[in-house]
Amino acid sequence: MTTATVPIPTRTPVKPFYFNTSAHLQRITQQNANTLSEFLEALRHCPDGSIFQHSFRTLEEHHFIREGFSNDFAHWALSACNEPSLAEGLASVDVREFTSVADLRERFVQIVESFLQRSSPTTAGRAARETFYFCASDTVVIPTSFVAGTLQEFAEGLRGVTVHCIHHHFIEARLRLKLMSNDFSQWLYEDLGLTEAARQLNRIDIYTLTLEDVRNKIIRVVERALI
Amino acid sequence: MEPVEQQIQSDSTVTDRSSDQLATSPPIAPARPERRRTPRTWETPPTPVPPPRLDDYKSIVGTAEIDELKFLAGELKGRTVKMVNSTAVGGGVAEMLNQLVPLLNEVEVNTHWEVITGGNDFFEVTKAFHNALQGSEYNLTQQARDIFLMNNEQNRQRMQFSEDVIVIHDPQPAALLRARQESHQRWVWRCHIDLSSPSPEVWDFLRPFVEKYDAAIFSSQAFARRLPIPQYLLYPCIDPLSEKNKDIEDSFVQHVCDEFGIDRSRPIVTQVSRFDRAKDPVGVVQAFKQARKYVDCQLVLAGGGASDDPEGAAVLKEVKEAVGESPDIIILDLPPWCALEINALQRASTIIVQKSIREGFGLTVTEALWKGKPTIAGAVGGIPNQIIHKLTGALVHSVDGCAYQIRYLLTHPEFATQLGQNGHEHVKENFLMSTNVRRWLLLLRILIAGGAN
Repeated sequence: MTTATVPIPTRTPVKPFYFNTSAHLQRITQQNANTLSEFLEALRHCPDGSIFQHSFRTLEEHHFIREGFSNDFAHWALSACNEPSLAEGLASVDVREFTSVADLRERFVQIVESFLQRSSPTTAGRAARETFYFCASDTVVIPTSFVAGTLQEFAEGLRGVTVHCIHHHFIEARLRLKLMSNDFSQWLYEDLGLTEAARQLNRIDIYTLTLEDVRNKIIRVVERALI
Repeated sequence: MEPVEQQIQSDSTVTDRSSDQLATSPPIAPARPERRRTPRTWETPPTPVPPPRLDDYKSIVGTAEIDELKFLAGELKGRTVKMVNSTAVGGGVAEMLNQLVPLLNEVEVNTHWEVITGGNDFFEVTKAFHNALQGSEYNLTQQARDIFLMNNEQNRQRMQFSEDVIVIHDPQPAALLRARQESHQRWVWRCHIDLSSPSPEVWDFLRPFVEKYDAAIFSSQAFARRLPIPQYLLYPCIDPLSEKNKDIEDSFVQHVCDEFGIDRSRPIVTQVSRFDRAKDPVGVVQAFKQARKYVDCQLVLAGGGASDDPEGAAVLKEVKEAVGESPDIIILDLPPWCALEINALQRASTIIVQKSIREGFGLTVTEALWKGKPTIAGAVGGIPNQIIHKLTGALVHSVDGCAYQIRYLLTHPEFATQLGQNGHEHVKENFLMSTNVRRWLLLLRILIAGGAN
């Protein structure tokens, strides 16, 4: 690592950054779907934790896949229903554009409704090859041993934490913050005044990168800010 | 030339076994593999190794991952848990508990494991229940009900239930719930079997007990029932440090292939499973023969159960008939303690197949994925939890589909490699013992430490 030779920034944050992480347990809900019609109905009524599980959370579970995986709904539409255009529509939903699960649910519902309106009347009732089981995520937030009182410590924390911690602060955070941003950008912007670094982090594409790649990109942005 | 069927022969058996010794001091490999009808292997099980400690997993999942797990356990320190099942040795549940219980104790969640007792009549009834709950037909008599309830009652009177959380594994001890007292105590039913289409009679008998638990745990969403209690998903797991899954020297892999007459210079397609119709070994042979018309490869069917199970012997006979005169198909009937050899066979393979037509979770798939092998498997049971089609492996629904995927993966090695890499990461994220400990700690937190955020 080259961090030892990097100059220590003069700026100190207003408050330290505490790295936390979230751990999730999947709960099996009562909803499942064997047709697109049942799927739409379940999408409307499943718990918020299910929408979170099959979009935000599944991205974390499959963080190592670079391309071809977006969310469980899109995957089921393709693999079990053989509906590529519906799958494309569902896969195009970018979780970063949503700061509430209700809005995200509404978007998925709209896509399925719109697809069924355009399709033949039999499409909605045709049996899928596999059942879609709606699960929900029960989450526990836990601290880590990493705390950053300087930008350099922040970079070290980013290197040391798990990808779950990266997901917690960088992707899930917008549901907590209710902002189109993330905990890292917020800290860089609010506590260090690093506007450009904060903006650059928000432009990292989480769908074409693994979470390890995302981590490395964040570290590079922070390292540039250190110079 | 006849297919090579290799079984354990006492004339060439090694009884003093040390896997490390084998891994580091292999015999000199012949320049060209020779098919041996009497491969050298072991007559008795190896001495069990002590269970791993959490820090042993740091080299695999990273220090931060293990540290997170310890933080997660922080609020549970001093809490007590009792695990109850029906056998101390043999079977996947006992194997898992042998590792999980020490790991929970290591993070100061005081965990005890007790095994219920019962006569032959009780275990005959519970074996029948087990099969009936997985779909077999069964006539539930009053006598069977009485035997089940009486043995559960005897165990209830013998055992003490003072812990914070009581975890009852599988149907055998399910009625111990009658020991439940009105208190802070939480009771959890951990169901390791597929309940998706149970015998209605047996399920109706057990259901009133299950509904009185605080939560139920299943190994796949597809295995669950509609119940009025929370149901959680805890995947089965493999231990990356076990004989079956640990890293081994390539020289040992070569040694095993030489012993079994497998040519590592040619592609190797392998299925590891019991000779059981649910694993469709005949379908694998048919798929292999279709693919073999277009691509050069060998098939290894490594399994067991044919020597002590009449049905296994019948299936093995069917497999041999399907193989016919094919010289490129190698059938290995191995004893259950050949974990290290299975590990070597999986690592030697170019592709691993698990063409099951019925399956539990399918831990042989997990093992294959962990070894980074492109894996083709039937889309049944818990396999779709592990194989995301075209991303972490290939799911198939027929012999033709299996044959096509064998051809495709053998002729598209870059894609196959990518599948293998993704599969390995998928297991690392979701199906290792360290993740299992994490999920148990989460469940305990949710049950007794105030629930989820």
